[in-house]
Amino acid sequence: MTTLARLIEQNKVIVCCGAGGVGKTTTAASVALGGARLGRRVLVLTIDPSRRLAETLGVSRNPPEPVAVPEDRQRAAGVQPPGNLDAWMLDSKLVADDAVRRFAGSEERARPVLENRLYQQATLILAGLHEYTAMKALHRFITEGHYDLVVLDTPPSRNALDFLEAPRRLAGFLDGAIFRMFTPTKAGLIGRAGVRLIGRVLRLVFGAEFATELTAFFESFSSLFESLNADILDVRQRLTQPDTAFVLVTTPSEAAVKEAHFFHDRILQLGLPFRGFILNRSQAGRSDKVFPDAALLAPDAPPALRSGLEKLKWLARSEHLQVARDRGLLAELALRGGKDAFALALPNLPAGASDMATLAQIATLALAERRSGPR
Amino acid sequence: MNDLLGKRVVLVTGKGGVGRSTLTAALAQVARRAGKRVLLAEVGDGSDDYSALAQRFGLNQLPRTAAEIAPGIQGSQLLSDAGVELFLTSVLRVPMLARTALGFEPLRRLFSAAPSLRELGTFFHLLTYLRAEQSPGVPLHELVLVDMPATGHTLALTGLPDVILRLVTRGPIAEGLREGQSFLNNPLRTSAYVVTLPETLPVSEALELLEGLDKTRVHQGGVFVNRVPRDLFTAEESGAIAAFIQRQPVFGAEGFLRIGEAQKAIARLRASTAIPTLQLPELEQTGDALIEALVDVLRAEPFRPGVP
Repeated sequence: MTTLARLIEQNKVIVCCGAGGVGKTTTAASVALGGARLGRRVLVLTIDPSRRLAETLGVSRNPPEPVAVPEDRQRAAGVQPPGNLDAWMLDSKLVADDAVRRFAGSEERARPVLENRLYQQATLILAGLHEYTAMKALHRFITEGHYDLVVLDTPPSRNALDFLEAPRRLAGFLDGAIFRMFTPTKAGLIGRAGVRLIGRVLRLVFGAEFATELTAFFESFSSLFESLNADILDVRQRLTQPDTAFVLVTTPSEAAVKEAHFFHDRILQLGLPFRGFILNRSQAGRSDKVFPDAALLAPDAPPALRSGLEKLKWLARSEHLQVARDRGLLAELALRGGKDAFALALPNLPAGASDMATLAQIATLALAERRSGPR
Repeated sequence: MNDLLGKRVVLVTGKGGVGRSTLTAALAQVARRAGKRVLLAEVGDGSDDYSALAQRFGLNQLPRTAAEIAPGIQGSQLLSDAGVELFLTSVLRVPMLARTALGFEPLRRLFSAAPSLRELGTFFHLLTYLRAEQSPGVPLHELVLVDMPATGHTLALTGLPDVILRLVTRGPIAEGLREGQSFLNNPLRTSAYVVTLPETLPVSEALELLEGLDKTRVHQGGVFVNRVPRDLFTAEESGAIAAFIQRQPVFGAEGFLRIGEAQKAIARLRASTAIPTLQLPELEQTGDALIEALVDVLRAEPFRPGVP
């Protein structure tokens, strides 16, 4: 049976998926920290993270390369050499520019693309680019082999698996047919008729000025696209390997669990290696708490404490019920995941907590857990 | 709430997990009961994937074109393909040319994936609904409520007209975008509402989002602070319990601490922006009952201005 601890110890890639707002980014950072503690060289890759996490890890946002989490913070969180945690919190434009430069081979060839107005605007506003960026960066770090483990925090999107689909859309767009339209010299006879039609449509729709620019964009980009396309297919292929693990993060809320079920089905449909559920912010793991009862109070307890305790009981009742509910939920997830997957409960940490100590605390829980389900 | 109901377009935005879809569904009910012909919309991708908003109406996805999804409430996905199709048909007056162009696979693909053209399609689909009239001068959809996707995508959409207009200054696209701007950037016609939770991080993100909306010149109507825990304790009791739970781990302590966190977060929000806020209490109900309970609160509670 799989445990999260074993994945952290042995896998090369862990992909954290889940709907927005379930604590995915924090979980990914903690999982990565856990790997570093086991002596592995780990990279956590996050697209457009909150400022807060970057501050916690002591790294800047959008550096040109991954940066090591400062040594004192790593030591404080229990990381010893050769273990190391690098983080890269990056934005889409940066990665796209980098890709253009590398494929162009020279600054001279890259410049017309980078300076194209359409390209500049596109990289700023193209929503699907986040997903592509994630795949692209992942590909680079897996193939370069600097890291024992890469943890990918999937980008926020309505559909948490968009990052797998969007590149395919992009790949369809990048294939030869479109380029032949815009680069008439390569087109056949029928192609040329198509080019004329497209030219006419584009001029009508966009106006002549923009249509010209669009054509220029495709001309300068066309040689780059083929290799980008090959990359995307590479990454998809890479993600189906057994040393990759897809982990789904959810919270106990009804809506989040429903979405988790949906994502789980999708991961399986796509033939990707699903390896476990993390039930985040749950009460399922707790055992040290007692019910607030007047018997706990000293005989001379002040009246405000007594009356306060009575009110606390209201809150306690719902939390108590939640323990049973969350444990049931965890058992369900374990059953759903099957024998190749784990189901792990992580507690509800103090609101908004994302300091290094909190990450270390979650990492400890992630590594300690050796069961595949609830007791 | 009357401000909100007086608009043509209301964008409901905020991060995942804050209860945005449930709230949007409740707002649609409030609008319907105020006698509005309301259209509920969300950006879709044409797939059969899960939609949290559609689930509120027992559907997997909202319809591809406007159709009744509940008594008196219409729903539609905003689809890039549909927008492009409607747009091309309106621009390429020669229907033959439009059909040929649309049947041309590479062009279809260009529109579905090319940088920003996808968002453009979505934008035009929305515009089509805004243009639609029941009779001359009377809009078919009096209020279009849009459940907006994650933060980055929202700003990509609201910022789209400015960006494209820098590139395309003339022609039908430019005209369409300017018409769109006459809706989206007019505070009398469009407001954006941010949904957030009374916690540190969500409040920071809500403030960033308000800033982003401001930059794209979309009027910010208000902030819904969702799931605010009720404070049952007197000041004296709070002090005593705070000390007690330090010594003794008990059930209920989490809920107790959350009350204080929530109050702090709300105070910070109201001190940081003049945009009015409306607090929605944490409710026990789920499903339809939750929407009903929210409707009651929305109809009773006023927005309160911030005091930065």
